[in-house]
Amino acid sequence: MNINKLSIEQRIVLAFFASAGLSVVFIGQLVAAPKLLFGRSLTAISPSLFPIIALSCLAILSAAFFAWRMKNPEPADKEPMNFGSMKRGAMFFGLMTFYGLLMEPIGFWISSALSLALMSWLVGNRSILQIVALSFTGPALLYLAATRLLAVSLPELNSIELFYAQVLGL
Amino acid sequence: MLEEFITGFGMAMRLDTFAFMAAGLFGGMLVGALPGFTTLMAMAILLPISFFLEPIVGIPFLLGVYKGGIFGGSIPAILVSMPGTGAAVATSRDGYKLTQQGKSRKALDMALFSSVFGDTSSDIFTLLMIFPIAFLVMQFGPPELFVVLLLSLVIIAATSGENPVKSLLMMALGLWLSFIGTDPLGGVERFTFGIFDLKSGIPLLPMLIGVFAIPEVAGVVMRSEGVRQLSSLVGERLSFKEFRASFKTICRSTAIGAGIGTIPGLGQVVAAMMGYAAAKNASDHPETFGEGELEGIAAAEAANNAVNGPTMVPLLTLGIPGDNVTAILLGAFVAQGLRPGPQLFEEQGATVFAILIAMVFANILFLGIGYLSIPFFSRLVQIKTSILIPIVIMFAFAGTFVFRSDNFDLLMLVAFGIFGLIARAGKFDVMPMVMGFILGPPMEYAFGQMVAMGNGSTMAFMFEERLPALCVLLATPVIGLFLWKRMQTVTKPK
Repeated sequence: MNINKLSIEQRIVLAFFASAGLSVVFIGQLVAAPKLLFGRSLTAISPSLFPIIALSCLAILSAAFFAWRMKNPEPADKEPMNFGSMKRGAMFFGLMTFYGLLMEPIGFWISSALSLALMSWLVGNRSILQIVALSFTGPALLYLAATRLLAVSLPELNSIELFYAQVLGL
Repeated sequence: MLEEFITGFGMAMRLDTFAFMAAGLFGGMLVGALPGFTTLMAMAILLPISFFLEPIVGIPFLLGVYKGGIFGGSIPAILVSMPGTGAAVATSRDGYKLTQQGKSRKALDMALFSSVFGDTSSDIFTLLMIFPIAFLVMQFGPPELFVVLLLSLVIIAATSGENPVKSLLMMALGLWLSFIGTDPLGGVERFTFGIFDLKSGIPLLPMLIGVFAIPEVAGVVMRSEGVRQLSSLVGERLSFKEFRASFKTICRSTAIGAGIGTIPGLGQVVAAMMGYAAAKNASDHPETFGEGELEGIAAAEAANNAVNGPTMVPLLTLGIPGDNVTAILLGAFVAQGLRPGPQLFEEQGATVFAILIAMVFANILFLGIGYLSIPFFSRLVQIKTSILIPIVIMFAFAGTFVFRSDNFDLLMLVAFGIFGLIARAGKFDVMPMVMGFILGPPMEYAFGQMVAMGNGSTMAFMFEERLPALCVLLATPVIGLFLWKRMQTVTKPK
């Protein structure tokens, strides 16, 4: 069996089988032992019972489906993903990771302004005015709506919170 | 009782009650329409307002927020494939496809009309049947709850996706993901790998947004459709003929939603999925479900809104909140000096009937406000995708963050987005996974309680003592036959 010849579907099923199978084998290390009181378990069922049932189902179904698919191969996609699409996809998820990692350390406003500008450019917007307007007004409006109207907090740098408090006279 | 009903009717007919209900409906709709901002959040924030109002004004105000929020959740689900709650997952399947086909207006109209119909019918049903239903609900214990949840999962997996085995695989994966964190019964850690952030489990919102919205957005980016403008794609309003064609489905879903609403712990997610699965199963053209079928939206929306009224039954008669939202309502009742339970109808019968009657009238306001605000919401698709996509991503991140104020959730969002894209490439339906994830913990909890009730004997207790045995015996061959028939269709050479 050449793994390079397998379809995406088969690779996913194989990954399910391997991870579920390994988890069943090493369930003792993955699930903590039940708490005991005077030598008796505090719960009616073992904490690993349900995971074992679900993981066994996953492993058995994966194996069965993989075997069935080997006998009944699916026709290949008419339009396989090209290199350009994959590159754009990688950039998109890279940008999302950048946004996720930066939001707490540098605050919602700055991280959102940077990410929105880059995202808009990635999606094909080449108007500098639109990009700048979007990256400033979007985060500002959402920040004000979230913190003032809905009374929920978004991460922010102290200096920006101070400026915002002064503007609103808080 | 008739006297209390009539007194309650008089109490409900107040201008301030209607004004606050309308405000609650609009506020709920607005918050629900913001991806990531949930009805629960809106109710929790607005709860203190109800303390300063009379019970007959304050509680209908919160009910307005509740009803508006449930419908509001379907707006981003339809327009940008971003279900803010599990209840809107089924709606997003067909809703977003209709938006892509330029029929977002029809989709929103169908969501509104079926929601109002489902909600009104179930409210009237609740009003008339509250006592007999309460008696039935009292017979429901952990074994029954376990069986209902199990059957729901199997039916959902069996009816969704192209291949039922792939759906079952995803359901098992969802169950596995639900085990990550702390065991609901014994409080021991499972699959956390010593990571502190995983101790409280995988959060639902990053998963929902990650697997449903992010792959859609990523698809547009990868296809380089950035400068496309969707201005001509709002489409026409829903015609009466189209609504009539889905009417049978709406009625069926309403019955399903009302039935599920009476059982504490099931709620809108199960109702929406069961309604959707039943509609697909009964349809002459099941292949169109998930491809932009108006009936799919009608089925999901009628079912999830039909839950609203009957959830009040266990809350009012037994003092059991069925979910987080009704737990907030319970808080509002208690703060107003109304202690839900068997004594409530004896002590405050007229007030309770007034609240239930106000719920029915809230639906008329719901219809009006919803109808007037749909043009405003449906214009969202007119925004250029090069502007809409960054805004959607910002909402996704902000909504995910405010849910638990944890940066780890943002990384989970990205991880689920990547997983959603890979699953889509492999033609796996992510819906059964989400359902497995949501229903896994209550199912395990009910199972643990059932075993404890049977002194360690699982099957003997279930089959000898309780009604679920009959359910399992009747349902298993039916589902088995259905799965076999579906597999025959899948394996048949084209």
